[in-house]
Parts: sequence; C-alpha cells; structure tokens
Amino acid sequence: MARGDERAYEAVYDQAAGWVLGVARKVVRDPAQAEEVMQEVLLEVWRSASRFDPAVGSGSAWIMTLAHRRAVDRVRSERSLASRELRSATAVIDYDDVTETVEASLDRERVQRCLTSLTQVQRECVRLAYYGGYTYAEVAELLGVPAGTVKTRMRDGLIRLRDCLGVQ
Amino acid sequence: MTSGDHLHTLSGAYVLDAISDDERAAFTAHLADCGPCRDEVRELREATARLGTSQYLWPRPELRGHTIRAATMTSQLGPVISAHDQAAPDAAALVATRAPVWRRLALAAAAVVVAAGVGFGVVMHDTMQTLHHSQRQNQLIAAVLNAPDAVMRTARVGTGMARVVMSHRRHMGVFMAYRLPSLPRADRYELWLMGPLGDRPAGMLRTRPGGMAGPAVISGMAYGDMIALTVEPADGSRMPTSAPLVLIGP
Repeated sequence: MARGDERAYEAVYDQAAGWVLGVARKVVRDPAQAEEVMQEVLLEVWRSASRFDPAVGSGSAWIMTLAHRRAVDRVRSERSLASRELRSATAVIDYDDVTETVEASLDRERVQRCLTSLTQVQRECVRLAYYGGYTYAEVAELLGVPAGTVKTRMRDGLIRLRDCLGVQ
Repeated sequence: MTSGDHLHTLSGAYVLDAISDDERAAFTAHLADCGPCRDEVRELREATARLGTSQYLWPRPELRGHTIRAATMTSQLGPVISAHDQAAPDAAALVATRAPVWRRLALAAAAVVVAAGVGFGVVMHDTMQTLHHSQRQNQLIAAVLNAPDAVMRTARVGTGMARVVMSHRRHMGVFMAYRLPSLPRADRYELWLMGPLGDRPAGMLRTRPGGMAGPAVISGMAYGDMIALTVEPADGSRMPTSAPLVLIGP
C-alpha cells in the first residue's frame, strides 16, 4: 500500500464522510445503521476508486450516488410490504434532522429554498423518493397519483432543482 | 431500444434510485445508446447529490481511524471496461456484452493499460479536484461564519433580499440574495467593496432562476468597508458605473 494512496483516501474521507452520514441518516433514520452505511460506502469508495471517471460527473456526485443507493437498499430490505403505511410516508415528509453544522447550513438553506421553487407534487415526489427511499410506483400509491405522473414529476422537479442550484 | 420515449422520462426516477431493478437494467442499457440521456442523467445527478450533501452530519471522530484502516486493508477493484453510468457496474456489463468482440478486447486492453498506469492516488487526486471545487468555497464560508466577530446584515433590494455575513477579522464576507430583480440581457450584477480605501470590484454575481444568487465569498475586506451591489455591463467594470442598489455596512 503506497503511503500516498492512504493520504489521498484520508482526504476523501474528511471531505465526504459527513455527506454520506447525512444522507444515510436521512434515509435509514436509525443512527447506528446510518453509521454502518457510512462505513460501507467509504469502503466502497476505496475499493472502486479506479471506476470514478471525472468526465462523467463530479466526485461528490459519484460518492453521493453510491451512498444513496446503499442507504436505499438498506431501508428497502427492512421495510416489509406489511409495515408500509401512509403514515410512515407522512413522517418522512415531516422528518427533519436536528443536528446541523454551520458549514452545511448555507448549503441546506439554498437547497431548501430551491425545493420551494418546485410544485408541491414535484417536491413531494422528489422528497419521498430521495429521503424516503420509495420507488416511483410506491410514491404513486402513497400520493394516490398515477405512476406515470409521478415519473414525470420527478424528472420535472429535478430539472427545476438543477436550474435553481445552477449545477452543470 | 424500442420504447425510448417511455424510458427517457425515467431519468428523474433513475437518479433518485426510485425504480425497480428491471427498470434500472433497461434504463442503463438505454443510456448506452442515448447521448442526450447521459447528459441529462449527469446533470440531474449533480443536482440530486446536493439533496444529499445538504444533509451533512458530523461523524463521530472514532469512526475515522477505524474506517480508514478497514479500507486500506481491503483490495481494490480494477476499472470497468466502459462505464456510461459509473455508479452502476451492471450498465458496464450490458455495454460490454453488446459491443463487438474485437472492440471489447481493445477496450479491455486499454483499460488494463490505464489500470497499470494510474494508481489510486492519481485517481483520487482527480476526485479531490472535483470535491475541492465545491468544498473550497464551503470552507471559506465556514471560516466567515465561524469567525468570532461575524455579523449578519439583511437588506431589501427591490423586490428581493440580500444578506451579508462579514468578518473583519478574516477580511471576508459572504453575500447571498434571493428574488433579485431580473436584468436586461446586456447587464450583470457586480459586487463591490466600498470604504476608506475606495471602491474595489469584488466579483460578478451570477443569478439563478428566482433571482437567487450566491453564496459568494468576498475577500480583501478592509476596516470600514461596506459591501455594495451595482448593475454593470456584462463584462463588469473596474469602477461602478451606477449607483449601488444596496450598500451593506459593517
């Protein structure tokens, strides 16, 4: 193991661990499980680093994609069909983590404000999918909206979010 | 892919991980054939990532050493042959099986050369560059917000609001605004430092839909400086050519 590799990885950890923990906590909600997801994802970052291609997207997007997918896998395997009820979805919408760092507060404020530029249905579709870990078919069921509509609302909502955040 | 139109609208659900495994496989195969779709996915993925990074939580310090030790004792994977969707190895597998044999071999050989020539440190250096790009500004912003003498000022700008956090000890300020009046095509907003040292340009301010702007970091603040916003020609000005729309004081 080259020492330079390890140092590079430490720097990535310091940048990204808090992001990964944040999204894991939001999706799986249980603090201990969120820490497990964070460690799994950071391990995956190490293992598959050579598959990161800067031409395809930013490092943060790559890591957050790994993180979200891992968190969603975890929450879906736990969420049995029987226990899936509307009120858990309502809890997701209202759920807001109390812990917040100064560093994240501006970013969070900006993302929140951009989310308000979405229509209500777009916003609920995006939040239920991203923070709740529901598929678009499940979101359709929860909201009582046709699945095709949810699919397009998700896309339209993210396009608005993209434009508002000014990401390229 | 015959149902391309139907698949195309899946891009949002796809980046939100809100689709079934079958649909994911179909969509990643579709991505291999659809350049505009790949562009859209890339952009939506950057936006979606912000939904995640905005949830930042401080990890317990004990996790750091443990995670890093565990990782650096683990073997690493080689690069994939082709990855339109870098986060989904199944996409690469699909592409590989669809490509002609000779092409697969050529790509595999190229991948091996890359794998041999590029170590983890190099790959991670690239990752770091893209991470730093978004994080460097956050760190500067954090430095201002954490400054013991940081003060926040809010002021009305036409229909909108501007907010400044400034620290004279750090000689920096952070400017953000929303619902700024939209400007004619040839004009732009420009930030200024105005004070005992005179008027100095502090950067052009890019606006987004909804008249949102910033957070923009302003450095080089001197004692007594105020932060001003003016409307200038698109290329910017070395001295203000219009009266400040807002002047936010220390």
